[in-house]
Amino acid sequence: MFETGIPKLDDYLSGGIPSGKSLIYHTQPGVEGDIFGMQTLYWNLHKGHKGVYVASNSAPYAVKGRFKEFGWNVEKFDQLSIVDCFSALMGADSSERYVVSNPEDIVAIDDAISKAMENAAGGVIVFESLSTIMDHCGEKETLKYMEKWKKYSTAYDNVVICNFTAWPYAKSTLKRIKELFDAVITISGIAKRVIFGQYYGVSKVNWVAKSQKRSISFKVLRPGGVKIFIPKVLVTGPYNAGKSSFIHAISSRAISVDRLGTTVAMDHDFIDHKGFTADIFGTPGQERFDPLLRMLSGEAMGVFLLIDSTKPSTFPRAKKMLEMTRAHGLPYLVVANKQDLPDALSVNAIRKKMKIPESVPIISASVAKKQGVFEAFETLIDMITKAI
Amino acid sequence: MTKYDLGIPELDKALGGIQSGTNVVLVGPPMCGKDILVKQILHAGLRDGDGVILVSTGEPGESIFKWCEQHKLGIENYKNRFGIVDCVSKTLGMDVSDTQNIKRASSPVDLTGIGVKISQFFEQFYVKDKLSKARLAVDSLSTMLMYSNLQTVFRFLHVFTGRIKAADALGIYVLEAGMHDDKTVATLKKLFDGVIEIKEENGEFFIKTAGMGSTPGKWMKYEITGPKIVIKGD
Repeated sequence: MFETGIPKLDDYLSGGIPSGKSLIYHTQPGVEGDIFGMQTLYWNLHKGHKGVYVASNSAPYAVKGRFKEFGWNVEKFDQLSIVDCFSALMGADSSERYVVSNPEDIVAIDDAISKAMENAAGGVIVFESLSTIMDHCGEKETLKYMEKWKKYSTAYDNVVICNFTAWPYAKSTLKRIKELFDAVITISGIAKRVIFGQYYGVSKVNWVAKSQKRSISFKVLRPGGVKIFIPKVLVTGPYNAGKSSFIHAISSRAISVDRLGTTVAMDHDFIDHKGFTADIFGTPGQERFDPLLRMLSGEAMGVFLLIDSTKPSTFPRAKKMLEMTRAHGLPYLVVANKQDLPDALSVNAIRKKMKIPESVPIISASVAKKQGVFEAFETLIDMITKAI
Repeated sequence: MTKYDLGIPELDKALGGIQSGTNVVLVGPPMCGKDILVKQILHAGLRDGDGVILVSTGEPGESIFKWCEQHKLGIENYKNRFGIVDCVSKTLGMDVSDTQNIKRASSPVDLTGIGVKISQFFEQFYVKDKLSKARLAVDSLSTMLMYSNLQTVFRFLHVFTGRIKAADALGIYVLEAGMHDDKTVATLKKLFDGVIEIKEENGEFFIKTAGMGSTPGKWMKYEITGPKIVIKGD
C-alpha cells in the first residue's frame, strides 16, 4: 500500500493505493493540480520508497526547483530517477539516467519508462503530465501504452500516478481515461467569472467497496503543498471567555482589533496545522455586536464555542450565542476554558448545566497555557470534514 | 456594457471601444513592433484601472519590467495590477522563483502551468483586489506552436478564450505572419472575434482592424516612437 500524502485522501482510499494499481489526478485547466502528483511522489520518497518522475513539461533542474518551492528537497533521494521527456524538445542536453531522444515518439518514451519501472520495482511512478505526452504522441497511442505500463506495474509492484489536465479532448478519450485508471481524483475550481477556490473529490476508486463521492476544498501552500482548507470557522462565546487568546494560541500571527483588551471588531486569522488550514473568525462577545455575529456566521462551516468554566452565570449567554451562529446545524464543539483555575466546573458538570448533547464534544482547555487548543482544532476539523 | 480601449486614439475612435469578452488576434510580420503594440495596449489597461496579464514566451519577466522602466511608463504605480507569466526564465536555466508580479511556467510546452498562472492572476484581480476588468495578452502563439502542435494550442486557447468571455475581459494573442501555414491560421482564427493586422510595404508599416463588431477599418500608416506606435495617417 502506498499513501498519497494528500490530507484526507488516504482515508477516502481506505489507506492509500495498493501496488499494481493506478491513479489519475484529473484536473480542470487553470487549477493547480500537478502539485498532487509531486506531493505523492515526495511523500513516498520520504517513506523510503523508490520513485520515478516522468518529466514532460519541464527540464529536470526545473523539476527539482519546483519541488523546492514546496520545501521538498528531492536531490537527497538516491532512489529517485527522472525520465527526461523534455530536454530534447528544447534541443538541450540531459544528464538524467533515462533520456527520451524524441519526446514525440511514444515508442521512445515507452523504452525509457519500461526500464525505469523495472529498476524502480516496488516504487511509485509519477507522470508530470499525461496530457502533454498525449498532445505530443497522440491520444489513442498514449492510452494504448498506458495499458502496457499498467501491466508492468502489476509485474513490478509499482503504482502509476498521473497528473492530467482535462483540456477539451475528444469525449471518447476522456471516457477512456476514466475507465483505464483504477482511481480518478477530480480536481476542480469554483468558477463564477473567474476560478476561485479549488477542491478535490474521489470520482472513482475500484479497490474500495463502498466509496463515497466527496469533495473537499484545498489550498496550495509554498512551502507546504496541498492542505485541506476550511474557508470559515467561527470562534464565539461570551465576553472574556478567551476567544481572542484561543485564536492567538492556535496561530502565530493573529491580529485582533482590541480596545483595552476587549475585542470590539473581530479577530481573523489563517491557521495551518497538520495538513489542514482554515480561515478562522472570532466574534466579539458583547451583546451590542450581536447583529455582526449573525452576519459573520453566514457560510461558516463550523463553530468553536468558548466558555469560561469558572463562570456558570455566563452559560445562558453562551447558549444564546451558539443559537445565533448555528441556525443550520453546523458542526460545533465547546471549548471549556480556564480549566486550570481552582473553581472551574468539570466537563461533566458543564454538560449538565448547559444541556449539551452527548454527541457534542466538550474539550477541557486552558487557553492561557495552550492546553487543549490543538485538540479542539483537530476535533472540529474532523467533524467538519466528515460532514462535507 | 464594459468597453476596452487599445490606447491608440485613431483606432479607438474607429472602433468605438471594444466590447468586453472579446478575443483579438494580432497578426503581423517580424520586426514590425508587435511586442511594443502589445505593451501599449496593456499599458492603456493599467491606466484604465484594469488588471493586466502578459504571457511572455520570448522575454523574461524582469526584462519586461526593465523595458517599462527605461521608457518611463510609470509602471511602479500599477505594480499590483500587472502580472507576467514568464515562460522563458526556467528554460534558460535561471534559478529564479516567483515574485508578486512574475509567475513562472516551466516552459512554453507547459500549457498546464501557464493556465494555472493565468488563473491565479485572474483570481487575484477579480476576487482579492475586486477589479472588474482585466486584459490578457499572449506573446506569442507562434512560439507555443513551435513546441506544441496546432490541436494542442487550439485546445488551450479554446479554454482560455472562453475564460476571457466569462470574465468580461479582453484577450490579445500575437501571431507571426508568414510563419504558419494557411490551415493553422484559419483554424486559430475561429477562436477570435477580431483581428488587428499589420503589414509592411516599402519599409513603411500599416495597421488595420477587422471584426470586433465594427466595419472593417482601413489601413493606417504608423511609426514606432519610443515605447509606442503612433498613427501617421492613411
